[in-house]
Amino acid sequence: MDHAGYAALFLTESREHLRACNQALLAWEQDPAAVEPVDALFRAIHTLKGMAATMGHDAIARVAHSAENLLDALRTGRVSVTAGLLQLLFGAVDQLANGVEAAGAGTVPASDDSELLVALDRAADGGAVGAATAEYAVHQILPAGRAVSVAIRADAPMRGGRAMLALRRAESLGTVTALRPAAAAFEREEFDGRFTFRLESRASDDEVVAAIVSAGDVASVTFEDAVPERAEPAARGRQIRVDLRRLDAMMKQVGELVVARNRLVDLALRRSDPELEATAERIARLVGGLQSEVIAARMTPVGEVFDRFPRLVRDLGRDLGKQVRFEMEGEDIELDRAVLDEIGDPLLHLIRNAMDHGLEAPEDRLAAGKPAQGRLLLSASRERNSVAIRVSDDGRGIDRAAILAKARREGVIEAAADTLSDDQLLRVLARPGFSTARAVSGVSGRGVGVDVVATRVRALGGTLAIQTVEGKGTTFVVHVPLTLAIVRALLTSIGSERYAVPLAYVAETVEFDARSVTAVRDREALIVRDRAIPTVHLRHLVSLADETTPRHRPSVILEIGERRAALVVDALLGQQDIVVEPFDAPRGMPSFFGGATILADGAPALILDAAALL
Amino acid sequence: MADSPTFHAVVFRVGDLICAAPAGIVREILPPLPATRIPGVAGAVEGLVNLRGVLLTVIDAHRLLDRPRRDADEGPIVVLDVAGRQCGLLVGEVKDFVELPPAAVAPRGQLPGVDPRIVQAVGNHGGEHFVILDIEALLAPMLGS
Repeated sequence: MDHAGYAALFLTESREHLRACNQALLAWEQDPAAVEPVDALFRAIHTLKGMAATMGHDAIARVAHSAENLLDALRTGRVSVTAGLLQLLFGAVDQLANGVEAAGAGTVPASDDSELLVALDRAADGGAVGAATAEYAVHQILPAGRAVSVAIRADAPMRGGRAMLALRRAESLGTVTALRPAAAAFEREEFDGRFTFRLESRASDDEVVAAIVSAGDVASVTFEDAVPERAEPAARGRQIRVDLRRLDAMMKQVGELVVARNRLVDLALRRSDPELEATAERIARLVGGLQSEVIAARMTPVGEVFDRFPRLVRDLGRDLGKQVRFEMEGEDIELDRAVLDEIGDPLLHLIRNAMDHGLEAPEDRLAAGKPAQGRLLLSASRERNSVAIRVSDDGRGIDRAAILAKARREGVIEAAADTLSDDQLLRVLARPGFSTARAVSGVSGRGVGVDVVATRVRALGGTLAIQTVEGKGTTFVVHVPLTLAIVRALLTSIGSERYAVPLAYVAETVEFDARSVTAVRDREALIVRDRAIPTVHLRHLVSLADETTPRHRPSVILEIGERRAALVVDALLGQQDIVVEPFDAPRGMPSFFGGATILADGAPALILDAAALL
Repeated sequence: MADSPTFHAVVFRVGDLICAAPAGIVREILPPLPATRIPGVAGAVEGLVNLRGVLLTVIDAHRLLDRPRRDADEGPIVVLDVAGRQCGLLVGEVKDFVELPPAAVAPRGQLPGVDPRIVQAVGNHGGEHFVILDIEALLAPMLGS
């Protein structure tokens, strides 16, 4: 391999080691008596030192060497661990990260490491750590309480429902955190009836067991030791690194193969040649299999992006003087690499927002009758063909009245409006420029950069939603598609035109009956199971003339979070995998078209963007 | 083009108007293809066509130049490079590929009844005058930014 190849590998591997360093430090900070984090840290820094020295990055090797010396002193007990020492090690890891990134960019680290080196060496000799770092108290970042593990009887009917009930019983005793799998997974086919969580409660173990068992069909309730296991990639030796560009190229090829397959199957059906049909059928299945394999190869656990947040939250908490318990759920949920790469920044924004403006200072929380320590939850869950990522805080919530007043003043909403729903609130907050206005930050501060987040998420074909209760907290929900390249879509038609609706946001299809519509605030709405859903007539949307249409027509219920709309079409033509094709959209193309594709018969078709319709 | 020795152009007819595009920006000539309408865009946009697996926006030159389409015209598509992007121009008939000596090109020429803003030059081939279109000025406003 040439030097550039090694340099690229050095960068990716070093980043992984640094991530491991941060994880180990956080775990160590949580439990200063633990041994494993120290060993893990030692290993990672030692490897980093070796690689840096080989590659000629002496500055990195120097810092790693001093940090290693300090760790050795700590491991052998010559020096005992203090909060100040941990902070010093955090600083050393940061300096290593600076050095690695600078080496990757071919530059020299911006920050000087001489003071750090002196401090590390002095600490390794048992010297005191500077006063500035010694004062900090250990923050609790990982969840507290007992680890409880529950198994529902394998033969129980409605395992998911039982599990939910058992969880509710546990929640009645105290605070439940770190639930795995996420509650949303209980209803899934593959849920085996086992789940774990942490329970903070004054109830005795026996009381906890009794409460959970009372849900019925509970096979066992066990308590585990406090250290949450960190899943190490066990099959490390059986993995290889693949350049992402190669995976992208494969994905593109497979995308075109899917289009060609669709075309082949379509042609074969018209020829009525059984042999051709059978062959086309077989190729179709093989391509389908290949497609799912390539998508699977691109799928990456969201944990890879989540992993950098515990350290961030810890540091923000220190900087802002806030106490926070940060929890993550659903780290094993997978997303297409391309989606994952784009989702980190918006999440970072939301977490910063929650830390900065959502969570109150400890004294304010106490004054409001809440525990001094706030809670911040980052969770991922599968929902149909999309993934929902939630950033949830139990802070002060958003002052609706203030936002409403401001929105009215600026003419963003009608002057007559006297309430703001969550949806309207988000629309107001996500208006470019609105959020930066001083009146908002003076009152709740919330909204800084929400427009940026909304734009980034929209660009991914995703959506942003907000739920907030004043005094109780705020949750931002980001929905993103599992993959960007190939989308399962429902084909609909209006007259002779066909439009594709991505299935990710299709809740169901129902029949539209012109006689059973009602009007809600002057808008036509369809009643589905006692809920009025506003209708959108695709025929009007695409500006086709009204024709005499049958009274009964299919309508597609689109759903994003709590927003729904019934898209009334002439006919449903079935599902198809479509490849979103790039094209230069002519000026003025309506925003409710999210792109275009080539259908099985070779004709181009436009893709409707559910998010823009709702 | 005035300083180049000869000027190459693809000559086509739009309704009753003979016009041409500089050969350097013409990628290929396609037979008529079914287009998918794009609702909500300017009227001259014919729609999207599938060019061997790639989507191409096609603009109808008849509507763009306000020349009625002849019934017998099938509508071949001239694929053009416009400001780094490709787009199709649906014309009535592709007539010829011509090489013009500098004397046969009048860079600031005009023809009666033709909007001067779209005229880059006027060519003369075998005694027939035709408009060399300012393709970028014509098509760029139709394409997204």
